[in-house]
Amino acid sequence: MTHLVLEGLTRAYGGRPVVQGVSLSVERGSLLALLGPSGCGKTTTLRMVAGLEAPDAGRILVEGRDVTPLAPHRRRMGVVFQSYALFPHMTAAANVAFGLEMHGVPRGERVRRAAEALTLVGLADHAQKRPRQLSGGQQQRVALARALAIEPDVLLLDEPLSALDAKLREELRSEMRAIQQRVGATSVFVTHDQAEALAMADMVAVMDQGRIAQLGTPEDVFERPRTPFVATFVGRSARFAGQAEGGAVRAGGMAIHAAGLPATGAVEVFVRPHRIRVLADGDTAENALDGTIAAIDYTGEVAQLQVDTPVGRVPVDVATADGAWRARQPGQPIRLGWRATDTIWFAA
Amino acid sequence: MSRRQAGWLLCLPALALLTLAFLWPMAILARMSLNETSESGMLVETVSTATYVKLAEDAFTWQVTRDSLVLSAGCATSALLLAYPMALFLFRTRSRWRNLLAIAAIAPLLVSGTGRVIGWLAILGDGGMVNAALHAIGLPTQHLINNWTGVRIGLTESVMPYTVLALLAGFGRLDPRLEEAAATLGARPLRAFWRVTFPLTLPAVSAGWLLAFVLAISAFVTPHLMGGGRVFVLATEIYDAATQTLDWPAAAALSIYALVLLLVLMLAHGTLSRRAAA
Amino acid sequence: MKVGRFTAVLAACGYGFLLSPLLLVCLLSFSADDYLTFPPSGWSLRWFGALVANGAMLQAARTSLLLASVVTLLALAAGLPAALAVARGWVPGAVAALLSAPLLLPTLVLGLALLMALQPLALVATWPGLALAHIVVVLPFVVRIMTTALSALPAELEAAAATLGASPLRVFWRVTLPLAAPGAIAAATLAFLVSFDEVVISLFLVGPRLTTLSVALFRYTESRTDPLVAALAVALIAVTVVVVLTVDRLVGFTRTIGRT
Repeated sequence: MTHLVLEGLTRAYGGRPVVQGVSLSVERGSLLALLGPSGCGKTTTLRMVAGLEAPDAGRILVEGRDVTPLAPHRRRMGVVFQSYALFPHMTAAANVAFGLEMHGVPRGERVRRAAEALTLVGLADHAQKRPRQLSGGQQQRVALARALAIEPDVLLLDEPLSALDAKLREELRSEMRAIQQRVGATSVFVTHDQAEALAMADMVAVMDQGRIAQLGTPEDVFERPRTPFVATFVGRSARFAGQAEGGAVRAGGMAIHAAGLPATGAVEVFVRPHRIRVLADGDTAENALDGTIAAIDYTGEVAQLQVDTPVGRVPVDVATADGAWRARQPGQPIRLGWRATDTIWFAA
Repeated sequence: MSRRQAGWLLCLPALALLTLAFLWPMAILARMSLNETSESGMLVETVSTATYVKLAEDAFTWQVTRDSLVLSAGCATSALLLAYPMALFLFRTRSRWRNLLAIAAIAPLLVSGTGRVIGWLAILGDGGMVNAALHAIGLPTQHLINNWTGVRIGLTESVMPYTVLALLAGFGRLDPRLEEAAATLGARPLRAFWRVTFPLTLPAVSAGWLLAFVLAISAFVTPHLMGGGRVFVLATEIYDAATQTLDWPAAAALSIYALVLLLVLMLAHGTLSRRAAA
Repeated sequence: MKVGRFTAVLAACGYGFLLSPLLLVCLLSFSADDYLTFPPSGWSLRWFGALVANGAMLQAARTSLLLASVVTLLALAAGLPAALAVARGWVPGAVAALLSAPLLLPTLVLGLALLMALQPLALVATWPGLALAHIVVVLPFVVRIMTTALSALPAELEAAAATLGASPLRVFWRVTLPLAAPGAIAAATLAFLVSFDEVVISLFLVGPRLTTLSVALFRYTESRTDPLVAALAVALIAVTVVVVLTVDRLVGFTRTIGRT
């Protein structure tokens, strides 16, 4: 069931368009990630949903009710800010209870529900600490508890993990996802980190220059990008230009096979590294390329190879546990292959 | 109610007070400077530039102007020379006494100017500390107060705390890593300071100098008390005209003249430092 | 970063020059002599005794304390709302400039202007006249410190309170005001001290029946130099030191001043 709907949201700053006609809908209890580079308008979109910015045009509907003209304090949207914005003059418990007080919850119930929210995020022992006595990860959890305590219609998260170090970020990522699913909060999550978006979201909206470039499941966005921008921004790929001709793409003197190609015309081609195999002697593939290893990044489980081929430099991920790895060296010849259906192409 | 309207409403009490006790008195002052004083010392209500003309024709006005400018420039320069190492020390030190030392540097601001003058009288007076030391080694008494020397010393000290503050504010934007970077590139400490830190503090030095200069030329208590009636600067002239000779038009015209002088100097400083920065 | 020995020595010279008058005043307030001479021939508390016995000085001290208190309260009442409007950018920049304009003016000129404006209204040497003059001097300090304090608050804190259901008025009372309180205390302290020590403007506006302590000290120094003025100056310094140290303990005065 659709819970939150954005209709044609538009916003400009001093004549410069920042958000241009963003429309999307979020199902009850699901998490939508707004993914894009900085300056793409994702945070402005979120702030318009929260009521912190007024749209120039467009509407925001919650359960079919138009909330666009409402001030932020009448919207009941829980917001987790990038800086957490915890009140420094209040304890963690008082921070969490603040929203309940503002919504007229009686004192006794306030204390109980604040304690519950802190328990939910695993901070029951830190209730009486001030924000500056808490670590970054703990502050983040208090911010989440505070936003959830008011039992918001919609939970909005603005880059909530970006201030944390890499290891903690991954830990909190799954923890936050688990809490969101347990509470069943309809959520919108802003991030520039594609791994975060793919790992956490039910749906991903990739934004580019104020517009939604693609809206789909994480798998859709990663495996079936709809524009070259999405293909470039989400995940790595080999990328080259060519000409469609007789059901194949001519590039660098090679014929690259792909599904559903037009009869003729310029095309841009992407191939994901994890779809490319290293071919042993005698192996065949629908697409095969001979090349030379230019560089190797050994990362443990996977070695990331850069291979120079007639169509250009191609990244390949090789599992180091795989027989194809055999501790290769730069300068060695290598043969790569992939299936025609794994060739992603766009008419240029 | 729009934000604009709310803003004006919030500012209303402050603006009303300023109008009543600042803008209106300044208008009265400007108007007073256009009146004249008769030969017998009576105030003549009129609109003329006669008072200004009289001031301009008086060689003493130009003498006082020159003395005031020279005094203020000298005091600003010596205050800066004394304050720079203090500010640099406060900026760099990691001592746990840092806060206390910072308070000590600006503490004189919070002590009445008269109290500090009394201290200088005890140091520089004929029976003061300096002359006691001179006598002890057999030297004759030096007159260090009720003259320009005393005013110079007292005024330098009185503007120093402001100079320290201005320099510290400028140093705050300085990255301490820069000097470390210079050291890793092989610069000795003095050289690293001279080639990296010092040039970057020049804007703060320039701002601190102007502040000290403006404060020195506006100062009244120190020139009046340390000069003992023998040192004449613009401020003491305005005060004497207003309260001794009771020539209000002259006091008002001198005030306007001093304000215009200050404005011109500040604009000139602004232009020069912008050109230096470009 | 390390402080070089050279810098430390030069800084010590600066401190010596800057603080020597204060040190001498403190020493000589305990002099037993009839004049300000150094070294004094003996030590005593006679000048503090003379100070306490001086009725005119005590009356002036009462006036100064009351005046500084009234001026502080009024300047805060007028300055705090104005600072809020300036910090939020709800008023044009020219208003902010006007609010700090009296700071740029030599106090001597401002005093003279006030004398010329208040004389025809018979407000010279009256409480309203003195209070009005002091408020104009103090108001720019209050507005500037409070504007800095309010601007330093992260904008997201107020946004967060709003998303949690707080109306604009409750955001102000529950978040903005408590967080700006250290700034307000610093502003009040400075306002009190500036008014208490103000001498130049007051010189034009006091009279025989209404005078402030700092003017009394100025007049006394003009005519005589005995250790009574040193004792009085020390009393003033003591008040200042107690106030500043107390406030620094409470809210970190030096940090607040340093940011303006």
